[in-house]
Amino acid sequence: MEASEDQIYVIIFATIFLGGIMSTFVISMVFIHRQRQAQNRQKMDQIKSEHEKTLLNIENEIQQETLTYIGRELHDNIGQLLSLAKLNFGSIKPEKQSEGKEILSQAIQEVRGLSKQLNLDWVETLSINEFVAQQLARIQNTGFCETSLEADFELLDLPKDQKLVLIRVIQESLNNAIKHASPETIQIRIHESGNVKRILIKDDGRGFDASQDSQGSGMFNLRKRMETIGGQFELSSAIGKGTEITLTLPN
Amino acid sequence: MDSKLLQAFSDWFTISTNLLLIIGVVFFIKLPKGKRANIQYWLPFLILTFTVFYENFGAYTNYNYDLKKAVNAYLGNTEYPKFNLWLFNIARRQVGVILYLLLIKTWLPPSKKKYINWMIIVFISMACALQFSGIEPLYYNQPIIFALGANLILIGSGLYFIGMITQDQFLESNPLRLVSFWQMTVIMFTFSLNYISSVALLYLFAVNPVLGSSLQQFSSFMWICTLGVLTVTIASPLIPKVFEKEPFYKSYGP
Repeated sequence: MEASEDQIYVIIFATIFLGGIMSTFVISMVFIHRQRQAQNRQKMDQIKSEHEKTLLNIENEIQQETLTYIGRELHDNIGQLLSLAKLNFGSIKPEKQSEGKEILSQAIQEVRGLSKQLNLDWVETLSINEFVAQQLARIQNTGFCETSLEADFELLDLPKDQKLVLIRVIQESLNNAIKHASPETIQIRIHESGNVKRILIKDDGRGFDASQDSQGSGMFNLRKRMETIGGQFELSSAIGKGTEITLTLPN
Repeated sequence: MDSKLLQAFSDWFTISTNLLLIIGVVFFIKLPKGKRANIQYWLPFLILTFTVFYENFGAYTNYNYDLKKAVNAYLGNTEYPKFNLWLFNIARRQVGVILYLLLIKTWLPPSKKKYINWMIIVFISMACALQFSGIEPLYYNQPIIFALGANLILIGSGLYFIGMITQDQFLESNPLRLVSFWQMTVIMFTFSLNYISSVALLYLFAVNPVLGSSLQQFSSFMWICTLGVLTVTIASPLIPKVFEKEPFYKSYGP
């Protein structure tokens, strides 16, 4: 074989080799891209299923909380009203009979009000402001501590999943304040700075050292839940100085 | 009509490029005004027009020997008056490289666009330095400038492919239905195979003219493929069922 023939083969093979390398490169890029797409799809499915699971848990917890409240109401309020009505109907005096009727209709109204809370339809009709006001009124009525609500705007038109999470996080934050902080006052402020909407839950209770991670999974769960709807959960507290929770709503 | 003139323009490559330009012009006129103002459509059209212009001019120089001789003499080349390399050096290997780099830039994520700017600056500086110093005169083969240009195009295409596998914007896209993907693939193949062919061409024509001619035909075929993809790019908004929206598409009105 002559030298020039060798060189021609080198040129041919070099061209084929270069073409092969580039083809392999492009095909590998497409293959890697497809793999990444599949991984991303899997990740998105996982996030979606986690989100659905969180929402289901929240719905269960809200229902559990509602049932506890209804049980308490049946025992402390409606039960008392019915006993009183029974006593009045046992009397032969006509005024006692009519008083008994009034008490009975009051009991019926209370039962109607409670029955509405048995399913989660109330979540859709109630605004966050109304829910917060109701919760604070309940706390205030027990005489546990003073409460106040300050709102710069009405939180309407939130998607149901966001509303459920917010309701549960607010409920849990208030429960924590009542159970652990023994505050004199609980304040809730709904405000907006720029385009960012925030809910501030503040108590003047005993507080705790927020730098120590001793809050178990409670705070972690609240933070995680806010993140599932694209919001944020921030907590600041110090011993003897109360606790401040800021819920940043998703845009 | 002069038969020599007809002969100069009647090879398959010149006819194909002219046909592609006609199709490109039709599609470009049909594009909505907003799309025509978008660099992702007018730049391919500009490259197509520019390429067809210099290819036709190249064909004309083969007909008009006096013009070729006069330009060569003006550039200082009296040894090879038949060469029209000056035209292809300046149009395809210098301006063409810059235009293709700009085209690659339009498909890159914003964070990677600055690399292309630097590549263009380096390429212009090196090309000027090599030509003005006399190392690679304009009228003769310019392997260094072409190697530099081809490598920059390869790096640019590589940046696009890296972006494709790392940027989240590409996750929703099927690359096989993106015009940018086909552009980058064809540009990468054309420039690298053309580089090999241009380096080996003078030697092959001397030793094995048949193989040299085949390699040149293959190179011409790759240029046609590139121009074909550019024409398809211009037509792509009119066939949305075939092509997907580009991840880094910029809207310029309706």
